[in-house]
Amino acid sequence: MEVGLTHYLLLAAAVFLVGMVGFIVRRNTLIMLMCVELMLSAANLVFVAFSRELGDEAGHVFVLMNFAVAAAEVAIGLAILMEIFRRRRSVDADDLNTLME
Amino acid sequence: MLPDLAGLRGGAAILPELVLTGTVFAVLVLDLALRRSARRGRVLLLVTCLGLAAAATAIAGVSAGAQPLFYGMLVADGFALFVKGVVIAAAVVGAILAALSPEIRRDQLGEYLILLVCLTLGMCLLAGARNLLMLYLALELVSLPSYILAGFRHGDRRSSEAALKYVVFGAAASGLMLFGFSLLYGLAGTLDLPGIGAAVVARGLQGGLDAQLLVVVAVLLSLAGFAYKVAAVPFHMWCPDVYEGAPTPFVAFLSVAPKAAGFAALLRFFLSGFGAPLGFPAPGEFPWPFVLGVLAMATMTVGNLAAITQDNVKRLLAYSSIAHAGYLLMAVAVGSPLAIRGVLLYLPIYLLMNMGAFLVVMAVHDATGSETVDGFRGLGARAPYLAVVMAVFLFSLTGIPPLAGFIGKFFLFAAALQTKSMFFYAVAVVGVVNSVISLYYYARIVRACFLEKPADAQAPVRVGSPAAALLGALAVPTLVLGIWWGPLLGVVEKALLLPR
Amino acid sequence: MDFSTTSTLLTWMIFTPLIGAGAILVLLALRPLLRQALLDNLARAIGVACTAVVTGQGLILWGGFRGADGALQFVHRLVWIKQWSIEYFVGVDGLSISMVLLTAAVFLVAAIASVPWWGRLDDAHHPHFSKKKVPGYWILFLLLETGVLGTFCALDFFLFYIFWEVMLLPMYFLIGIWGAPPRVEANGRVRGGPYAAIKFFLYTLAGSVLMLLAMIAIYHNSGPSTLADGTASPHSFNVMALTQMFRDGTFAGASPIFGLAFAQAMFLALFIGFSIKVPMFPFHTWLPDAHVDAPTPISVILAGILLKTGMYGMLRFNLQMLSPAMVWAAWGIGILGVINIVYGAFVCMAQKDLKKLIAYSSVSHMGFCLLGFAALTPQALTGCVFQMFSHGIISPMLFLIAGVIYDRAHTREINGFGGLAERLPEYTGITGLAFMASLGLPGLAGFVGEVLVFLGGFGAADQGFRVLVAVSAIAVVITAAYYLWTMQRMFLGKLNEKWAGLWDMNWRERLTLYPLAAATVILGVYPAPIFNLINSSLHQVLSVVSVTLHAGR
Repeated sequence: MEVGLTHYLLLAAAVFLVGMVGFIVRRNTLIMLMCVELMLSAANLVFVAFSRELGDEAGHVFVLMNFAVAAAEVAIGLAILMEIFRRRRSVDADDLNTLME
Repeated sequence: MLPDLAGLRGGAAILPELVLTGTVFAVLVLDLALRRSARRGRVLLLVTCLGLAAAATAIAGVSAGAQPLFYGMLVADGFALFVKGVVIAAAVVGAILAALSPEIRRDQLGEYLILLVCLTLGMCLLAGARNLLMLYLALELVSLPSYILAGFRHGDRRSSEAALKYVVFGAAASGLMLFGFSLLYGLAGTLDLPGIGAAVVARGLQGGLDAQLLVVVAVLLSLAGFAYKVAAVPFHMWCPDVYEGAPTPFVAFLSVAPKAAGFAALLRFFLSGFGAPLGFPAPGEFPWPFVLGVLAMATMTVGNLAAITQDNVKRLLAYSSIAHAGYLLMAVAVGSPLAIRGVLLYLPIYLLMNMGAFLVVMAVHDATGSETVDGFRGLGARAPYLAVVMAVFLFSLTGIPPLAGFIGKFFLFAAALQTKSMFFYAVAVVGVVNSVISLYYYARIVRACFLEKPADAQAPVRVGSPAAALLGALAVPTLVLGIWWGPLLGVVEKALLLPR
Repeated sequence: MDFSTTSTLLTWMIFTPLIGAGAILVLLALRPLLRQALLDNLARAIGVACTAVVTGQGLILWGGFRGADGALQFVHRLVWIKQWSIEYFVGVDGLSISMVLLTAAVFLVAAIASVPWWGRLDDAHHPHFSKKKVPGYWILFLLLETGVLGTFCALDFFLFYIFWEVMLLPMYFLIGIWGAPPRVEANGRVRGGPYAAIKFFLYTLAGSVLMLLAMIAIYHNSGPSTLADGTASPHSFNVMALTQMFRDGTFAGASPIFGLAFAQAMFLALFIGFSIKVPMFPFHTWLPDAHVDAPTPISVILAGILLKTGMYGMLRFNLQMLSPAMVWAAWGIGILGVINIVYGAFVCMAQKDLKKLIAYSSVSHMGFCLLGFAALTPQALTGCVFQMFSHGIISPMLFLIAGVIYDRAHTREINGFGGLAERLPEYTGITGLAFMASLGLPGLAGFVGEVLVFLGGFGAADQGFRVLVAVSAIAVVITAAYYLWTMQRMFLGKLNEKWAGLWDMNWRERLTLYPLAAATVILGVYPAPIFNLINSSLHQVLSVVSVTLHAGR
């Protein structure tokens, strides 16, 4: 079976959907950040797929940049998470309710 | 094979950004060098402000026009330069606010300023971004320091919680946006905005729903990132929580500058990408003005209605800034030359009013420890200067002549009505109704200041002279620009003469 | 159409109060150097002096006004924002001059009523508003005067809008801060100064924003015109030029809005905006609250002048500028006017608070203006403008009268009084005069306006107006009823011992009430000066409308 562009795109869409649904459904903030990473990976996959298809390097470059950005984002996210965990011993999103109106 | 160095041309045009980078390093080094010095805070603030001022002067010297720079990544046209000016002005005010506020510990001021200038750098790049990669990187450069600065109040539960909500929500929004960008890339074969625009228009002319569907999905996903940055419905939910939890000097900056840069990027995304929509598009094309117009109406209404019930002033101002994003979105939906002028005119006026309002909130919080409307009670008697200035800012936010906020709104509505389309007439009506609704909650604060007695006999609220001077510097233009706005309009016109 | 500057008198008149406000602000900045009492008295002196100067300028204006032309006089025109064709364009013609003169006079009266001099003020247990935050009061008062004068004189739509809104902010603070303190009523609701103030602000702002949209839409659809310095501009905010454009058919090509023709849609938007100020049923609900809870001089200004700005707006914009659409709406406006008259009159019968009664009677009397406005005959329109002027003299008198008794008894409940004529004969006399004038007794000013509206309405092109006039005439009987009944309850009969200690009018009250009373009597028997002012302009306006009227029927 020939694996073409469509397969890559479908895989990326599936990963993206898993990430999005996971983000919405899960309550553990750490898992939510991981789901965001899934969404970013799906986008990377699309970039690489199209880049290969079109013969254009821009997509590959984008993915390389993405690694750096995603890493930075996660680092910051985890740092803030640690700060909260230290005080409350919980990372459950439902417990983050001091700012509710 | 040597790379094509001609594409790297553009050094002089990014002088402002280079100056900002230099400032970051300067503050970083000084922060370490002066670790023991007592005057560290003041020196760092001075260096930051000098650096920002130098960047602003550098803006005046840029004359690259619409020429693409750095392989088509950036463009330094008048539109971008104007927005950069607004953003740097906001940063100067933001830096001074941070130095004045006890919420930022003295020993952390250096880090705060470094992150602030990084943010400003990101926004300057965002204003000039012409390429999806640059858009994404600049947006992230704006977001990442914001996440950190939102949590800067150490030990305050609400601050960390605000930062976490911001980071999680922001990361998800940028994930959505990235997926949208990837689809657009696949569609167009290039990351350049004009190239994408041409491909989208070509698709649109081909007609057919399936050809359009990819475009629509891609653009809607991309919009997620922008909508999140400017706090538009349905990505506005982070706004009240972050505004309430984050340190007030940062909130003041956050309410103005990222919005300004975000709107600049949004305008460029839509207009470079899709031509200038004016009113309803021809059949066969996807009605983006309609979609944006509906989003604008939703944003205005949600912002204004939610603000009515708020007791915490920072949350109230958060919803108010969501509402103002709605008014600006109305102009983005129109997309005409008048609308662009309106957006550019609105941004500096919005800077004055919003940052001024937050400065007053800061002063009241510092004196009374209260961030609720009740904390403002009797302010007219306790601190008449603060109360009068707050009234000026709040009524300007409502859009009442002869204050500057009215001129901003006038331009936005004028742009909507110029389209002579029923839909935009309806959007304008929703806009004005929302302005009236907004009077109710802005007047609540003014009423607390002047028409109510303080809850208990409290000591007069003392305002330090730097804060009072800054308030005056923000309030006087708000009053004057309401009558004498010709010069500001002139600057906007001059900026737009350089083609986009 | 070429209007070039002929005189700067109007500009001086409009901005003198602003200069006064600035002077008080400077005094405030010097607060550490002055004693509070001196500062207060200086502020009061500046306030009274400014209003007196404006009145003097008004007299000069009256002297120099040539009533025989219908043309615009005392024009002052400068370019303000060139890119948007916005000019500083002020001038008076027959429609506005009577209002400008009225404003000058009523503000002077209100200023005198705001000072605690020249007479006893019983404020030992009830703090009087005139002693509270005095400099702030006068700054806002003078700012209000600038706004009102500017509204009547402005002939550039944008400038008009700015002055219109400038009236709102000072009013909000004046009612909210110096008005009645918040109170909890029997049904648990909180009422009082702040509530009335925000209600007034919200209602009026809602009307203003509609006006803003109409203004912008008219601008975008307008044709080219020339600015004051001779440059051509693609669009225009110039009210006179726009009037001409509407008649020339420049707007005929404008796209219809929500199903209505462009002119009609603009008419409706502007009409709603102005009718909230008039106030017209059903937008009148802010008025009773605002009047009852405002301090006496502010009620005087509110009833005497601010309501007239709404009617003036209708005359200038809906009638003069949008004449084609006026005919379309006339019948509807007539009916709404009659509802005002009748509803206002009936509600008055049920009132227990004297000030609220007078407030609703204002609603009723403005209904006469609306009816005259809608009838579109020369007599009816003259009656409308005259009624605006005479109501602008009589209702300040009524509110000052309410203020007199409130300052002494600290209550306004009609049924709580009785037989006051025994102790306060002078007060009773003046009240009698005011009540008779308000109900339209022939020989006093109130009669002239009403009778002209009736005569004009009866002769209107649309026969249906005769029914409206008949219904309104019945309402006049109700008006007489409630006024006479109030007179009887408060003044006649046996003296209620509770009020045996009250004292008669003092010099401050005389100084405010007698000039108004004299004007009422003089205008009742000799209304010609006012007619001379308004007639030729009204004829010019009407000539265009009649063409449409007779063409359409």
